[in-house]
Amino acid sequence: MSALSFLKGAIFADEYASKKGLLQSLDPRVKTVTFLFFIIQILLTKNLFILLCLYALCLLLTLFSRINVGFFLKRTWIFIPLFSLLIAIPALFNIVTPGEPLITFTIAGLKLSITRQGLFGAALFMMRVTTSVSFAVLLSLTTRHFELLKVLRVFGIPQVFVMTLGICYRYIYLFVEIVENTYLAIKSRVGTTVHYTRGQHIVAWNIASLWNRSYQLNEAVYQAMLSRGYRGEPVLGDDFKIMAKDGLWLSFVITLSAALAYVQYYLLV
Amino acid sequence: MHIPDGYLGPATCGFFYALMLPIWTAAAKIVKKTLKAKQVPLLAIGAAFSFVIMMFNVPIPGGSTGHAVGGVLVAILLGPWAACIAITVALVVQALLFGDGGITAIGANCFNMAFVLPLTGYYLYKVLSYNAPLDSNRRVWAAGVAGYIGINVAAFLAGVEFGLQPLLHHTADGQALYSPYGLHIAVPAMAGEHLLIFGWIEAIVTALVIKFLQRQAPELLKEGRG
Repeated sequence: MSALSFLKGAIFADEYASKKGLLQSLDPRVKTVTFLFFIIQILLTKNLFILLCLYALCLLLTLFSRINVGFFLKRTWIFIPLFSLLIAIPALFNIVTPGEPLITFTIAGLKLSITRQGLFGAALFMMRVTTSVSFAVLLSLTTRHFELLKVLRVFGIPQVFVMTLGICYRYIYLFVEIVENTYLAIKSRVGTTVHYTRGQHIVAWNIASLWNRSYQLNEAVYQAMLSRGYRGEPVLGDDFKIMAKDGLWLSFVITLSAALAYVQYYLLV
Repeated sequence: MHIPDGYLGPATCGFFYALMLPIWTAAAKIVKKTLKAKQVPLLAIGAAFSFVIMMFNVPIPGGSTGHAVGGVLVAILLGPWAACIAITVALVVQALLFGDGGITAIGANCFNMAFVLPLTGYYLYKVLSYNAPLDSNRRVWAAGVAGYIGINVAAFLAGVEFGLQPLLHHTADGQALYSPYGLHIAVPAMAGEHLLIFGWIEAIVTALVIKFLQRQAPELLKEGRG
């Protein structure tokens, strides 16, 4: 269950969100809106230089937010960008992306070329994916997860969804604990690897058992909600405060985005 | 099958957000009508459950592992529309807090995994298990077939979404701006791995969970009415 352990470590570590860094000090609403703005800008740009600038900004923000850069690179590069890199490799060659050849070689009698279009397409794809993932992970690392889910109200998402997200978040933690403990118990009794069909039965039994327990939990959760004053309509507290620093950050993001748009449309055409 | 940011162009992302908006609204209305007040936390618990299902490593022949999405299973247990909301919530949490699946691709991911997958699978399960007693083997087979077909339809759609990108977004000299492979590569790649590997994982997990629930808690199989 390494995926579960990794998930637990990744999601529930509020360690970085509690540090006194640049991004941690911003209002979560302003920070989320500006980060979404960056992610949309990354999606819209057709220029590798702009993507490199935004990636460099992301790494600078990581430093200013007192996040270990090695940890951040490991966290952002493992899986999605590495997987995307593997996907992008065949697109370098003329068999997938025809165009102007840059390097030509022969493998087992097959003449292959890396094309200019293939190389730039793959580089653009890789940088776009990596920069987007980096901004999304940085937002999640520097914001308390509960606050990040509450911020969704800014986008007009109904409170019932926000409440569902909040409860869901709490129960993911509980379920991960239950599953981990069950697997530890199985491991301590079995003590060796099992045939894959037996393994499939163990997984299915665990999922069935988890649902059985989840369903029983529903009644208890509802009683707990009633005891805390739930009367059919969710009410969520709003303790966010916009400060001068947030105004400065917002001005910086707007200025930077305008500068990047100017560079893209007037200087790099 | 979680599409990350950067794979789909802005037009595709916007289209799927626009497409999902009325679906989410309809799902919320249907669930509000059918779900009893005391079942409100069930949606959140269902969302957490579907989140955790995706994290289970299922052993496959050759010593490797894969993971199931569990969309059809959640639909059988919660009902198709409640499953739509629960899986949407799980996908939003994954994208926002874990970086698994893109924020700009939430609309597309929800269309594939929170709408097409559970609804296709659920109604197929209903047809195949029509009039079957709760403890019958036909329900187990129906769940497996529904899981297999549901995930394959979703994977095919994801392949089409990837494959359309070079046609929709490219420079004048043919350089792809987003996912670089056309329909002739993206669709067979997505469909092939799901027809041969992930579809079977989904089928086995869905069928076995239903089989275990028939023994452990058959009353839970009556609940899918959302």
